[in-house]
Amino acid sequence: MLVGRGSGVIRWMVDRAMAVAFLAAALAGAADRAGAYTASGDRNFPATLILPQLAPGDEFYLNYNMLPLSGNGAGTKTRSTNFTAVYGKTITDNVGIFLEETYTGDAVEGSGTRWGWQNQDGSIRYLAVNNLDHEFVMSLGLERETGGTGATRVGASSSGATAPQLYFGKGMGDLDIGYLRPFAITTFSALSLADTAPRPDVVSNGFAVEYSIPYLQSKVRSFDLPEPFDHLTPMTEVLFTSPVGRSYGSRSTALIAPGVSYAGEGWEFAMEAQLPATRATGSGIGVTAQLHIALDFFFPDTIGKPLFPNP
Amino acid sequence: MSSLLPLAAMADGSAGSVVGLLGGCLIDRQGQGHPAPLKMGEAVAVSDTIEVPAGGKLKLRMSDGSVISVASGTRVTVAAYQTDAGGQRQSAQLSLAAGLLRAVVAPVDHPSTFEVSTAVGTAAVRSTDWFIEAQPRATQVGVLSGSVVLSSTATGHSVTIPARWGARVEAGLDPVPARTWSPAEFQAVISRTDVP
Repeated sequence: MLVGRGSGVIRWMVDRAMAVAFLAAALAGAADRAGAYTASGDRNFPATLILPQLAPGDEFYLNYNMLPLSGNGAGTKTRSTNFTAVYGKTITDNVGIFLEETYTGDAVEGSGTRWGWQNQDGSIRYLAVNNLDHEFVMSLGLERETGGTGATRVGASSSGATAPQLYFGKGMGDLDIGYLRPFAITTFSALSLADTAPRPDVVSNGFAVEYSIPYLQSKVRSFDLPEPFDHLTPMTEVLFTSPVGRSYGSRSTALIAPGVSYAGEGWEFAMEAQLPATRATGSGIGVTAQLHIALDFFFPDTIGKPLFPNP
Repeated sequence: MSSLLPLAAMADGSAGSVVGLLGGCLIDRQGQGHPAPLKMGEAVAVSDTIEVPAGGKLKLRMSDGSVISVASGTRVTVAAYQTDAGGQRQSAQLSLAAGLLRAVVAPVDHPSTFEVSTAVGTAAVRSTDWFIEAQPRATQVGVLSGSVVLSSTATGHSVTIPARWGARVEAGLDPVPARTWSPAEFQAVISRTDVP
């Protein structure tokens, strides 16, 4: 789901909790953009849980997130829970698609929890630059949410939306900065354009800062670290969303997500706290977790390779 | 030149023989320190060291049917190569001092080893088509098919490298996590080891 899209914009217009629904939609869509690993040279950018994946890949991952929301009386949401499955498939070595489904549970004050599917979502991604020596990646994406394919009771919008996206990733390993070389940063920017009113257009920006212990061990200095510490990457993600143009009552959000990722061989598991930075974002500390499977690792000769690999 | 030299040709106990040759490749028999020119069809035995100079290339067919293509600027020693009566590999060990080689390792129907060691790491496989390059302070491996386990000599830690992936290990460090190799990266090592 696109950031800030699928949460019943029509209802927002009459609901004082508009910003809450807005964020819930953003979180429901977070897994779609959550990153599987992306490699550039000796740098592996681990999967992120809030920010986008940097590049296309053959992968499957499951994401869970929960965030307490600022309920505002009977009928408003007090907590949003999302279970998301994402399948990524490469078409060529540089182009891939992603398909996503999210199942949402919205706890509503005074009336239990409403469950339902979010709108169907798909995207195409193009790896435009992958500079191995400088651990630099740039990708372009185009995401499409199909309106009316989800349940309005959990905020799925009847309006679809299309979002051009831009991604950057940069590892610091090419710099002469000693123990700081394992640092890397990834960024994400998108502009989500609604098909029809009253759904707002939304701009999203985010970044992640990570320190890769595997990179430290393999590129800087090998310390005698025990499992699981030698496979961990502490990281913090930050995501901002804001309506542009007519807001239809939606508000800006900011979410900070510190956590850690464990990298196995061909899989990753990560957990992060979700700290709302504004009242409109949420009312308490949430949590997100993700299991990522690299299909190109486990099935390199079948479903794990591009449909049309370069010769 | 055919790479299908009959196994019977190695009944003399040699580890393999030359089936492709380009340039003035040398062989140092049993570490005697007197390199001599290699010839097409010549046998290679355990403890022999082969040097492929700049501009040269070499292809060996080993006694188990494995084919090893050696790029220019490579120095490799056959540390061990044991096969059973049926010509199936029991253990094979190459020591790669410098340079690049491609190994198309013949499958066997029983547990066996095929290892290439460098100064900083060891790569072990069962059956696969793969590359290994020894650089001054690093070793990198790329796998076309099958899988390879690359281990660091210094730390003992290892990574598994599946088909279409590669990894490297630098001196004194853990192996770098494996990643997919681009077609261009594979093409670079293929062309360097392609013996006409």
